Amino acid sequence: MTAPRVREQEALRYLGLRGHPADNRTLDLLHSCSSELETGISPRCVSQRFPLQIHGNLVQMGPLEAVSSKLAYHLRNCSEVFLFAATLGPFPDVLIRRYSALDMSRAVVLQACAASLIESYCDLCGHALAEQVRSEGLYLCPRFSPGYSDFDIRFQKLFLDILNAQKRIGLTATDSMMLAPSKSVTAVIGLTSHPQSCHKMTCEDCPSTDCPFRKDAD
Amino acid sequence: MNHIIKDLLGKRLVFFDGAMGTLLQQNGLAAGELPELWNLSHPDLIRSIHRAYLDAGCDIIIANTFGANHIKLRGCGYSVPEVVKAGVSLAREAVNSCGRDAFVAMDLGPTGKLLRPMGDLDFEQAYQAFSEAAQAGAAAGADLMLIETMSDTYEVKAAVLAAKETGLPVFATMIFDEQGKLLTGGDIPAAVALLESLGVDAIGFNCGLGPEQMLTFLPLLMEQVSIPVIVSPNAGLPRSENGQTVFDVTPQQFAASMRKIAEHGAWILGGCCGTTPEHLAATIAACREISPVPISPKNRTVVSSYTHAVAFGERPIIIGERINPTGKKRFQQALRENDLDYILREGLTQQQNGADILDVNTGLPDIDETAMMCRAVTGLQSVTGLPLQIDTSNPATMEAALRLYNGKPLLNSVNGKQESMEQIFPLIKKYGGVAVALTLDENGIPETAEGRFAIAEKIVHTAERYGISRKDLIVDVLAMTISAGQESAAVALQALSMVRERLGVHTSLGVSNISFGLPQRELINATFLTMALQSGMSAAILNPNSQAMMNAYHSFCALSGADPRCTAYIAKYSGQVAEQPSAAGTLLTLKDAVRKGLRESAEASAAEALKSREPLEIIHNELVPALDEVGRRFEERTLFLPQLLMSAEAAKAAFEVLRTHMTAENGPQERRDKIVLATVKGDIHDIGKNIVKVLLENYSYDVIDLGKDVPPEEIVRAALENQVKLVGLSALMTTTVVNMEETIRQIRRDIPGCLVMVGGAVLNQEYASKIGADFYSPDAMGSVRYANRIFGHS
Repeated sequence: MTAPRVREQEALRYLGLRGHPADNRTLDLLHSCSSELETGISPRCVSQRFPLQIHGNLVQMGPLEAVSSKLAYHLRNCSEVFLFAATLGPFPDVLIRRYSALDMSRAVVLQACAASLIESYCDLCGHALAEQVRSEGLYLCPRFSPGYSDFDIRFQKLFLDILNAQKRIGLTATDSMMLAPSKSVTAVIGLTSHPQSCHKMTCEDCPSTDCPFRKDAD
Repeated sequence: MNHIIKDLLGKRLVFFDGAMGTLLQQNGLAAGELPELWNLSHPDLIRSIHRAYLDAGCDIIIANTFGANHIKLRGCGYSVPEVVKAGVSLAREAVNSCGRDAFVAMDLGPTGKLLRPMGDLDFEQAYQAFSEAAQAGAAAGADLMLIETMSDTYEVKAAVLAAKETGLPVFATMIFDEQGKLLTGGDIPAAVALLESLGVDAIGFNCGLGPEQMLTFLPLLMEQVSIPVIVSPNAGLPRSENGQTVFDVTPQQFAASMRKIAEHGAWILGGCCGTTPEHLAATIAACREISPVPISPKNRTVVSSYTHAVAFGERPIIIGERINPTGKKRFQQALRENDLDYILREGLTQQQNGADILDVNTGLPDIDETAMMCRAVTGLQSVTGLPLQIDTSNPATMEAALRLYNGKPLLNSVNGKQESMEQIFPLIKKYGGVAVALTLDENGIPETAEGRFAIAEKIVHTAERYGISRKDLIVDVLAMTISAGQESAAVALQALSMVRERLGVHTSLGVSNISFGLPQRELINATFLTMALQSGMSAAILNPNSQAMMNAYHSFCALSGADPRCTAYIAKYSGQVAEQPSAAGTLLTLKDAVRKGLRESAEASAAEALKSREPLEIIHNELVPALDEVGRRFEERTLFLPQLLMSAEAAKAAFEVLRTHMTAENGPQERRDKIVLATVKGDIHDIGKNIVKVLLENYSYDVIDLGKDVPPEEIVRAALENQVKLVGLSALMTTTVVNMEETIRQIRRDIPGCLVMVGGAVLNQEYASKIGADFYSPDAMGSVRYANRIFGHS
């Protein structure tokens, strides 16, 4: 797998620029933060494939059972799922804490770059998983995470236990279900034989219309 | 029989058993299910698995108690002692039935949580969880404690402290990745330094890797250790097949690799995930005739952090001395104001300038030294991987800091007084560490080198009576100022050589003491540094921010061969242009420097402005208008968060210059209106709150920053104590907004009239109103505008 890279436009959007051109000093800072992160992280992922059954709003994914109408709809054309978890490890958190004491402008840019980097890493992992199942005529649906819409965030813990994520990739959840290290993702990825059903969730699909990071804002 | 396991080590190889979880999964254990509960639901199966490993010839059976701690068992319906007792008893029954001697290990696996600051588990909570499990295991009759599959040095420290209190032998193994790193980033030398200093009886690798991968890291481990080594690999790297995790290394392949591992020096062999009784039977057959390779004591003087170890003797070590209030008014003020960020910046600046270790001293008569030391140690360890030197004359402070330090620290200091040695050596024995030993005793500081040597010798011998090796001492022969007696330098240098050559102990000096009372002290200090290094000084306590000192240091390393091929010297000095004094007219105005977010320029302009103007006038006419303009442009969206914060940091740097000047002129400055800021309980990240803090401080508010994951009661207490009119709260998660609501409820109940402003990713105006906040700030500037309105500084 190639090394994940920060996506500049995405990081700028997290910083609130939303399409406004960035000035040179912001860009310099962004490049310097990107390279500090890209060379320092040790990203890891783990996934396991489970059969899927949907009964109304009840979604059964191997040992994980969740009631979620949005997830049920999202997976309606799928027969199986990958439970997937990925993390950039503790390094981004250490850097962000360090620069919070030294230079907040660097801390916020690191935060935005790391957020972009974990997305980019998850996409790379997704490509690798897609490759695994392609010979079976299967395609992957976009990731759907605990905490999205009505998929309760409290599934985070069971999700990690099923994947043995603490031992395998050092990923844990706090009592309030925040992932630690923070630059991490857990997600259900549906497997389907209908490539056209792989609808990619966009900002427009999300009910949070006042979200400052919404892509169609402005 | 429990201590006999230690007697067996070294006489022949000893064999642990193999995987339990893998075999339970084959028998129907579901992913995510707690294997330990099968001690109660499937006792026959557990017993038969133990028996199969015993029949394969294993010496130590690991009870099925890996996750039997109250954090993992929460809500399962059984208590920790119940589950542990069942697990240990089943292993014991299997041993009793097998007809030969074998041992039962109480298994202590990780809690599944990350400790603070990475996660939300407190060190003492982790210790309590391990303590409960370890005591239950000992009570149930375990022969030894096995701490395994640990990927965090901090968690393993909590486990070892708890396990040692049972009095049973303690073995500890950790999980390393293909780069030889822990999942939390630590390396092998750091893990060895920590575990050996905590006094474990055997140390090693388990899980994560197959035997061949572990073999590649074994030489590095063997180079470091002076105690028996355990290697318990997986049956290869895990692979997913039809939804199942599978391992590919066969028993014969496994045994062949384990034979090499034994030949490379491991004394205790076992298996982890994917291994079976067949893997262990084959391993035992392949290795039985191998005699354990003798272990040589390494006698390395090493300290460590959670990331890496620093060894003395390879090149001179720089211990940064700046985190110390002695003689520093600005630092004293920071301590009195609980300004942790100031301390962190002092630490990080020294790191940037080349410190290997940071001395930490928070002793000031009118503050709670222990509390401040603990905050400083945990704060520094959350932002830097440098090992720390805990510097205090208060044994209670020393113990508190040693306990929660993540790694093997330096302690400053012990001395030749009986009382000092009696207080400090038991602490080192319990928590590990290297102590700086000062050559003074009840009779003061000897004037001669022989006298100082004699005290050093006494300290070394006394330490050895406590079971502390001389490798864990660094003798400081004390540099005294030459302005009071010119022979001081010669005495110190002579004592350095004597201690190094005749006691074989590493040495250090607080170098700058030599010039006390003289003008241009750096000239003397830098030359004395070179002389001391030439006399064999292993570590220098100095100010790494002093260019003269670091120039002398780097030059010495290049000249003495401590810097092979002058690599470090060239990296530091090549391409460095001799500094040009800036021409007078090129300085930006302070206003421009802040507008443009140029920190160095802002500092320089502030210093320049102070030559002709009063600090308050500079603040009102330059800084505040510049900040207002930047803030307005941010709100108009013609400038964005990174630029806003660059300006804020530039203003902060300028303030620091003005503040240092004012403190020096008029003593500590009373700040203006106070505001309490906190990220609510359950939230472990506080970047949003920190943005607000830096901006509020720009506007001269006295921000009392309570940090992250702060319980409502603590916020209320701080608000009451400081009589604040305004509290700012931040929450990141839907799951923690309830804690914000509870905090507001308690503020309303206990502090009538106190206002609450809120912000954070999951909030909006509607939600903020619902939970009773007075103001919702959608962005960083909103809170400044609100505060200005409340306090009447529009």
